[in-house]
Amino acid sequence: MGTPDRLGGGPAIEAVGVTKRFRAAGSTGSTSAVDAVHDLTLSVQHGERLAFIGPNGAGKSTSIKMLTGILHPTAGTARVLGLVPWQQRRTLSERTGTLFGQRSQLWFELSPRQSLRMLAAIYGMDRPQETRRVAELGELLDAADLFDVPVRSLSLGQRMRCELAACLLHEPAILFLDEPTIGLDLLAKRRFRELLVTLNEEGGTTVFLTSHDVADIEHVAQRVVVISAGRLIYDDSVPAMRRTMLSTKLVDVGLEHAGASLELDGVSVLEQGDSSARLSVDTTRISIREVLGVVLDVWSVSDISVVDPPLEQVIAEIYAERRS
Amino acid sequence: MTAPMLRRLGVPADVSGRRLLASRDGLVVSVLFYLIVSGVLSALWRAAAGEHGEVAGYTALALTWYVFTAEAATCAINVRLIEEVGDEIGSGAVAVEMLRPLPVVAVRLAAEVGRCTARLAVLLGPGATYAWLVAGPPPHAAAAVLALPSLVLAVTANLCLQHALAGSAFWLRDTRAMWFLYQKLVFLLGGMLLPLEVLPGVLRDVAMALPFMAMSYAPARLASGHLEPWLLLVQAGWVVVLAALAGAVFAAGQRRLQVVGG
Repeated sequence: MGTPDRLGGGPAIEAVGVTKRFRAAGSTGSTSAVDAVHDLTLSVQHGERLAFIGPNGAGKSTSIKMLTGILHPTAGTARVLGLVPWQQRRTLSERTGTLFGQRSQLWFELSPRQSLRMLAAIYGMDRPQETRRVAELGELLDAADLFDVPVRSLSLGQRMRCELAACLLHEPAILFLDEPTIGLDLLAKRRFRELLVTLNEEGGTTVFLTSHDVADIEHVAQRVVVISAGRLIYDDSVPAMRRTMLSTKLVDVGLEHAGASLELDGVSVLEQGDSSARLSVDTTRISIREVLGVVLDVWSVSDISVVDPPLEQVIAEIYAERRS
Repeated sequence: MTAPMLRRLGVPADVSGRRLLASRDGLVVSVLFYLIVSGVLSALWRAAAGEHGEVAGYTALALTWYVFTAEAATCAINVRLIEEVGDEIGSGAVAVEMLRPLPVVAVRLAAEVGRCTARLAVLLGPGATYAWLVAGPPPHAAAAVLALPSLVLAVTANLCLQHALAGSAFWLRDTRAMWFLYQKLVFLLGGMLLPLEVLPGVLRDVAMALPFMAMSYAPARLASGHLEPWLLLVQAGWVVVLAALAGAVFAAGQRRLQVVGG
């Protein structure tokens, strides 16, 4: 507990060749083996904010469950804060916090404050430590007034703030968050993301996040790891992913009056009206400079901007590319 | 289990117990159910014994205190615990509890013991008053005092075995049939419905050798006027064995837990 753990100066998380094979019984009585995670090799430095993403069934949650020690891998090794998770799960849990968006760690028949009291005892905190920490978290998460409301009476957004309080109570060095914003409304999501960044920047907490929400990745993560069908298929920083994976740019053009139709190899006109147009440019076939030159020649332009397509599209391209 | 760990487990027991005491509506229903069942059953036994007769060495007074104590030991427990814990294991919900620095089963048992002890405390007042009014004071004061720790041991032994059986959900996935069978065993071989001395020879010996006797019969035997402190030792022994069994089942089961997806 206390300050983030930097044992031995090694990475916060290191997995080498981790594989998890599940055996499933078929309808005919036969069994088949499925690799939920296959040969996962990954290293996460202290203080990083990493998004671990992939389509449904890609192996994200299974990976988190191995890295937290809930599941034993079929093959491979891993160390989290210098500990082998599935051999030292309880020791590791004193230094990590895990939040599953679809599973509560609060006791539904208790208030959050009572749950926090139970958790503080389970984590071996004494009463003054507990009182100080609960007050800190109440302030940080703007949740002090929620702590005395029965859990079953809280909205999902309120409950998630209390779940995060439970997760942070023992000041973990690493936060594992499995789809933490699922079901939250827009404001609650934004607040949750800001909190994660604050925790990371002020406390140095390593954040390991899975999500289907592109905005979580965009606003929280510094690095993206993509997993598909149990295999790691992409690992780079968020800006690098945009740069390297972006074969498409969007050009928004403000028009002084309606322009002629535009036909250029590598350019598709997504929208065209009297006062604006939007073009999609395949930069592997034509340069942006060339497109801008032609547009300025043929149209009366009042404004022009070049933007990246949404991250969602970039990720979809990664999935599609690796699948093909 | 070390002393610091026991201290840490005291908080879940305390919080759960206090929480139960705060849920007034649920407690009122529990007390009413307990009084109705115990009242009817003890009336039947008194009728069977007759005013000056006995059943298997128990007088009408002893049988009344036997029934109220045996029922208290059972009514204090959540009878569907095996099913509920089994469902949580089967659905993978138990995974969240594995991310804590104390054994899952130890925390669960501590919370349940706290809850059941609180419920027991609530049941005993009205139960003792009812028994006293309809039959008279406890037949033996010292034995009745010993029945109090014996009741706590009884619910603890019951909870330990229920958790051990619920742990089978790591392999079986469905424990519904198990709790049904378990409940009946406690009723009959645990001495909840009838003193074990009423059972015929071999069956009585078998029942006395099984852990169910620690869950109902032992405190009821003491409360019915039999000063037999060795019953507490037997109960404590069963608690140790059953707690170790529950711990072993969970430890083995957690290793093969299969949780796919969120």
